[in-house]
Amino acid sequence: MAFGISVTIMFVILHLMPGDYITLYLEGIYVIAPPEVVLAYNQAYGLDRPLIDQYFSYFLGVLQGDWGYSLSYSRPVLDVISEKLVWTLVILLPATILSIIAGIAIGAYSGWRRGSKADVTLLNGMIFLRAIPSYWLALMILLVFAFYLDLFPLGGYVSLSALDTGIDLLDVMNHAALPIFTLFFFSVTGTYYLMRNSMLMTAGEDYIVTARAKGLDDMTILRQHALKNAMLPMVTRVALQCAGMLTGSIFVETIFSWPGIGMLTFEALQVRDLPLLQGILLMDTLIVIVANIGADMIYPFVDPRVEVGSDARA
Amino acid sequence: MGDALLCVRGLKVGFPTVDGVVKASNAVDLTIQAGETLALLGETGSGKTVLGMAILRLLQPNTRIEGEILYRGRDLLSLPQEEMQKIRGREIAVVLQNSGTSLNPVLRVGDQIAEAITLHRGLKGAEAEAAAVELLERVRIADPARMAREYPHRFSGGMRERALIALALACSPSFLIADEPTRGLDAVTKHEILALFSEINRGRSVLFITHDIEAAATLATRVAVMYAGEIVEIGPVDAVLSSPAHPYTRGLLESLPARGMRPIPGSAPSLIAPPSGCRFFPRCPCSVGRCETEHPGLVPVGPGHCARCMLYD
Repeated sequence: MAFGISVTIMFVILHLMPGDYITLYLEGIYVIAPPEVVLAYNQAYGLDRPLIDQYFSYFLGVLQGDWGYSLSYSRPVLDVISEKLVWTLVILLPATILSIIAGIAIGAYSGWRRGSKADVTLLNGMIFLRAIPSYWLALMILLVFAFYLDLFPLGGYVSLSALDTGIDLLDVMNHAALPIFTLFFFSVTGTYYLMRNSMLMTAGEDYIVTARAKGLDDMTILRQHALKNAMLPMVTRVALQCAGMLTGSIFVETIFSWPGIGMLTFEALQVRDLPLLQGILLMDTLIVIVANIGADMIYPFVDPRVEVGSDARA
Repeated sequence: MGDALLCVRGLKVGFPTVDGVVKASNAVDLTIQAGETLALLGETGSGKTVLGMAILRLLQPNTRIEGEILYRGRDLLSLPQEEMQKIRGREIAVVLQNSGTSLNPVLRVGDQIAEAITLHRGLKGAEAEAAAVELLERVRIADPARMAREYPHRFSGGMRERALIALALACSPSFLIADEPTRGLDAVTKHEILALFSEINRGRSVLFITHDIEAAATLATRVAVMYAGEIVEIGPVDAVLSSPAHPYTRGLLESLPARGMRPIPGSAPSLIAPPSGCRFFPRCPCSVGRCETEHPGLVPVGPGHCARCMLYD
């Protein structure tokens, strides 16, 4: 349902965009494109048919796994996307996992030790980090670590030597380090805020007093009693973050010339490759939906109060 | 009566707020003998819970506490944190108010009890679990072995109260603080819980915090009445409830449905700027001139029976 609505909205919005691929493409070849050439191209891609026809054939195609044909790559959209998605995941997965772990750990500590020096320092640092525009931070990281310090390559995903030796994991990780680092900083602040807040709420709960009254020490209470409760709201957040970072990677991939979905989006947008753009946005939607379903399916395992499918006995 | 097990001297508790310091407890003196049950009576906001929490040092870290709380001769307020953790749960245990939210929702009830047993009695794994089931049985939870494996949301209000009592009893503490254990329970469950307490109170000192005079009369050997952060009357349960000396205690008893249901006029004073002199004088039917300016001390009115009132000065 949500998927069908997204397909429709995306189709409408993208077709409202000025400019089209054929015009832009032919501009590169002719000074003034002959009308018969334009017509021939439009016929070849079915772009002369009424929009409503295009919409229905696209919708049916999507449901059958045919996401259309990329104009600029001259290949099926799904092929192009799945190829680039792998590269996006190479930087996205480590960045997401690291930011979640770090965000939860320092957020939990910060919230548990509310008002302490460590908490105040962390909180102010995070606010500062959050306030930096992401593209500026990415450019600065690139400038300092790749250009001035020359610690990492300026861009791309493999060195030129890969032409002779093939793709080498270490070489890829060397190229991926800065994008991962940048993405990590984009997302760690959000996780930190939410975790700190969640921990503040949990620290004031009666069962925490119960745990203290038992004679447990502070760190044991944090680990055994507070952490699990405070992490419950994080499940949804983490799921959404996984999906949200896909969009966030557009900046990072463009700036670091990383050949993933983000850069593909940028390219497709520049040349008005609508089928490809639709496919990318559809993939984003799909990931959001899957992540949400995933979060809902995880809940019964982490929160005993959520019981799926069982009759409510309580 | 045996020796004093717990002795509170000049306890002052203040909570700093934006409007000023809330003086929740003002120079409270209290002695609890070994084996006795002392009921702490008073309306909401009179400082009963604060007193109970102060004994276990469970108040917020920014709370200002002055005075002495001597437990077996040691001042709990100046003990290092690690020493205090050894006393909590093992020597002094508490049944917190709000039983509905005092159990951790994501941990099994049996595990929450077993945790205290492992901590203080050194029993591990299955042994600790078996001990937890035993405790649940002792507080009369039906099918304790199964319920020990359930999460708190499967427990009714009365069962949660029982589970909290089981948790408090886990290491056979010599001193038990029960904070309004009958609050929010229906009449039948309330009587069951009171019966349970009269059983577990034997051979143990108990500070029974309540606003339920009937519950106090059933369980206590002595009663202390609190008003606006002060103990205004203290004495043997029969003496205080049958011949109350302080006008506030009298008002409290007269407000009971069985005794005419006459409420005390006015409302409890602000604890940020409490009335000068006697804290009860603005509402007191028998106030005399100097009540407004002079703060009365606790004066004896009978054997072991004291009241904080100018009438007896």
